[in-house]
Amino acid sequence: MSTKSLLVVDDSTTFRQLLCMSLVRLDGITEDNITQAFDGADALKKVQSGQFDLVLTDIKMPNMDGLEFVNKVRNELNRKDLPIIIISTKGAEDDIERGMQMGANGYLSKPISMSQLRELVTTLLGH
Amino acid sequence: MSEKPDEILTLFSKSEELLEMFRKGRAFTEELMAENERLRYRIVQLEKEKMDLSGTLMREVERLRLENGQMSQKLDFLDGRFHEIEAENKDFAQRYVEVEEQNENLANLYVASYQLHSTLDPGEVVQCIKEILMNLIGSEEFGLFVVDEETSELVLAGWEGEIAARLDRGRVAFGEGLEGIVALKGDPFFTEDAGERGEVCACIPLKIKERVVGVIAIYKLLPHKGRLSALDHQLLELLAGHAATALVSSKLYATADRKLKTIEGFMSLLRVK
Repeated sequence: MSTKSLLVVDDSTTFRQLLCMSLVRLDGITEDNITQAFDGADALKKVQSGQFDLVLTDIKMPNMDGLEFVNKVRNELNRKDLPIIIISTKGAEDDIERGMQMGANGYLSKPISMSQLRELVTTLLGH
Repeated sequence: MSEKPDEILTLFSKSEELLEMFRKGRAFTEELMAENERLRYRIVQLEKEKMDLSGTLMREVERLRLENGQMSQKLDFLDGRFHEIEAENKDFAQRYVEVEEQNENLANLYVASYQLHSTLDPGEVVQCIKEILMNLIGSEEFGLFVVDEETSELVLAGWEGEIAARLDRGRVAFGEGLEGIVALKGDPFFTEDAGERGEVCACIPLKIKERVVGVIAIYKLLPHKGRLSALDHQLLELLAGHAATALVSSKLYATADRKLKTIEGFMSLLRVK
């Protein structure tokens, strides 16, 4: 199994830690291969400079929110191939639709089920 | 006269022929009778064989019927076992899901408590509690109160939503409102459903042993969250213990640090003089 690089974007350190702890249970993902970003702007810089196989992002964040980040990745960086999962407290159908229209490949509402997250990540990484 | 012997001869010859015919007829009749005897014997033999075979067949049928009955019983038993195992399997699958869920919650609790105790800054502890309530519990509107021992009031230290606007000076007296009652009694309170706006759906005291140092009140859950599960209740109660310790220790550290800095400043002033 090849190693996969992931980017976790959330302003909550606790939630980032939680995601990392859950994701390292998957084959091919180690703590060293998970990069963390605290907002959309930070994440955008990291996507520009690094090579990631998957991005997980929150929506409500300071400086640049998750939707703007997804939009910029898709349209400014032209990274249409990069799988992005939105994980947000906004769980209404409209929010999900908006997120998917922006170009996200998956959407999970907080509080999330970690097994559901791992399932989605596995699918998007094509394991 | 000469004709007579010829006639006689002819008669003899005919009688010979007739005799021969009778002899043949007799032989044929004897043969037939022997054949008949043989066939009758054969019939008796076949009858006997038939009787034997019929008995064997009956016995075989009886044996097969018995076997069939036993097989049916076995089939019923196996069918029953199959259903039992299927039910057991479902039960194990359900238990696996439950264990997995509990595992997740333990992991959540581990990360949350680790984060809570990773800082000695009271502001960061409050922020961490807020993050836990939003991201792990799924609260949309909540208040984190700490006890002001001088005034015996609960002071709002962190919140999300409109609670701050609803409270007078951001304070609740002990024994007043659900938050005050929970702080006074020290017992958690849970309602079955997420409350309407402003209606408490969970209120948990933050306790160190029997001393209440604060209260977490959840007024509204995220729309898709629906209700708090039994596991959420457990998680909240466990987190409340960690949050209480983290809040008090960070407050004590901040006070001690402030005092230390004052003393150090005073000492350096004395040294200068």
